[in-house]
Amino acid sequence: MFLQLIINALVASSWYVLIGIGASLILRTCRFFDISLGALFTVCPYFAFLLKEWFGFPLVLSIVLAIPSTMLLEVIIYTSMYSFLFRAKASPLIILLVSLGLYIILQNLVSLIFGDDTKIIRPIEVQEGLSIFSAKISSIQGVSILIAIFLITLTIVLIRKSKIGKALRAVAIDPELAAVSGIEVDLVRLWSMVIACGLAGAAGILMALDIDMTPTMGLDALVMGLVAAIIGGPEKVIGVTLGALFLAIVQHIGLWELGPKWHEAGAFVILLLFLLFRPEGLIGRKVKKATV
Amino acid sequence: MEYLLHILILIGIYVILSISLNLISGFTGLISLAHAGFYGVGAYVASLMALNIHSPFLVNVLCAIILSGILGALVGAPALRIHDDYFVIATFAFQVIIFSILNNWVSFTGGPIGLAGIPQPIIFGWNVSSHIEFLLLIGSLCALTLWVSRRVVNSPFGRVLKAIREDEIFAQAAGKNVAKYKLQIFVLGAGMAAVAGAVYACYITFIDPTSFTIMESIFIISIIIIGGAGSLWGTVIGAVVLVTLPEVLRFAGLPATVAANIRQIIYGSLLIGFMMWRPKGLLGEYSFQRGGPGSER
Repeated sequence: MFLQLIINALVASSWYVLIGIGASLILRTCRFFDISLGALFTVCPYFAFLLKEWFGFPLVLSIVLAIPSTMLLEVIIYTSMYSFLFRAKASPLIILLVSLGLYIILQNLVSLIFGDDTKIIRPIEVQEGLSIFSAKISSIQGVSILIAIFLITLTIVLIRKSKIGKALRAVAIDPELAAVSGIEVDLVRLWSMVIACGLAGAAGILMALDIDMTPTMGLDALVMGLVAAIIGGPEKVIGVTLGALFLAIVQHIGLWELGPKWHEAGAFVILLLFLLFRPEGLIGRKVKKATV
Repeated sequence: MEYLLHILILIGIYVILSISLNLISGFTGLISLAHAGFYGVGAYVASLMALNIHSPFLVNVLCAIILSGILGALVGAPALRIHDDYFVIATFAFQVIIFSILNNWVSFTGGPIGLAGIPQPIIFGWNVSSHIEFLLLIGSLCALTLWVSRRVVNSPFGRVLKAIREDEIFAQAAGKNVAKYKLQIFVLGAGMAAVAGAVYACYITFIDPTSFTIMESIFIISIIIIGGAGSLWGTVIGAVVLVTLPEVLRFAGLPATVAANIRQIIYGSLLIGFMMWRPKGLLGEYSFQRGGPGSER
């Protein structure tokens, strides 16, 4: 039983961590909480559904095509809205409210086009799950965890080693200094949002493959990702990963007696405790911001 | 006629809600997404008291105000330590927790089934039952809210609130106890929202948690953004526009399910449009512009 709970927590944290890393990337380079990332999390599996059901593409091809399509959508959103806000030096609060409006629009477009009922993209035949001692793990759950680990490693390598990662870090630390040094800040921000969108889209597809999809699934997933990012420390990918693991373990094991309906409230109680008593997160350094 | 009165009553309820939120968000600069939570707590406290101990309406309202005010202090407390967008996330958290309690504590709140048969209010022998009587009640409460809010924002107290909004460190340097002011305005705003909740519950006679979700909070904040943060009359205009808008769509003859989505899309577009081109709203004086991306956080 205990092993089963650990596996469930690992699977849940694999979704949280991917969207959480995305949200924290945007938080670092663009300095705002991107609520619309939750909508893109939803849009991606719906793209896959559209390709599979309406155009008759095979599942794997639909998924492979859905992620770049979502990223393309993010490019359009960025160039038509966010880049103007950044250029006008809008406050993080304004951009947050804009992204909230965008979330509402995208979520309602999805439910207008596809309806509010649960949609399924996973293959119909139920596969025999793998048994580890007494616990069961389905193949898609196993794949989820592996893909999450792969993408986390990929993001860390990207940020540490690549040229774009270096530029990302520079913009995160000081956008003006980065611009003076010849880095195209606008382009770097676009990159960070597109990468975040790809991670969120992948998480959305993994979640939809495991527990199916509804138009509102993105907001819950996004807030869990944000909670993971804030409690772990959004400055580092590894912090977000630890935050997601911590959150999922508290939810699945700590609140096991109460049942899943209290997962959300539990997550937010943890978030409030962290915001109040350890705002720098699990692994973050203590920063004294504008001492009041 | 009844339909028209119903719309006016709804406008009245949203005027009270959005003016009380404007005190917190527009005048003090603390964007809160927990306002539907206070509204819900007001509705639930008043209804549970009326249903279980049959206490008179005014006592219920008073208890709703007190409880919601205590909750307001609780939600406002993090504002002393966390700022701006992090504070928005914290109020979001409170909103979800309050909704979760209303929805999941089935034995006490009735859970998703809600509470039915809430009695109509009797105020000093006046049995408020017809639409026109409810409109009178709501109208006078709106007037009271507006009057109290005007007194508050034009007083020295209100000037300190605006100073906190514009520059918190400066307000503190001028010797003002910022923490105390923030808590007080949260308690006041939450108490006013509770009144709206109590009247709403008696008017509809049925409540369930879906009336008090995060989307409701976003709707109330949209009223302020469109009407104008830091403007009382702007808020009234915002409430009139946003409450009547879906009714116009109803006459356009769209099916109910489509209309609900279209309405949300219009709210979202309005939110984006105003934030991008006119963050002050129609009549506002505050544009949420504190600490742009270039500035130190």
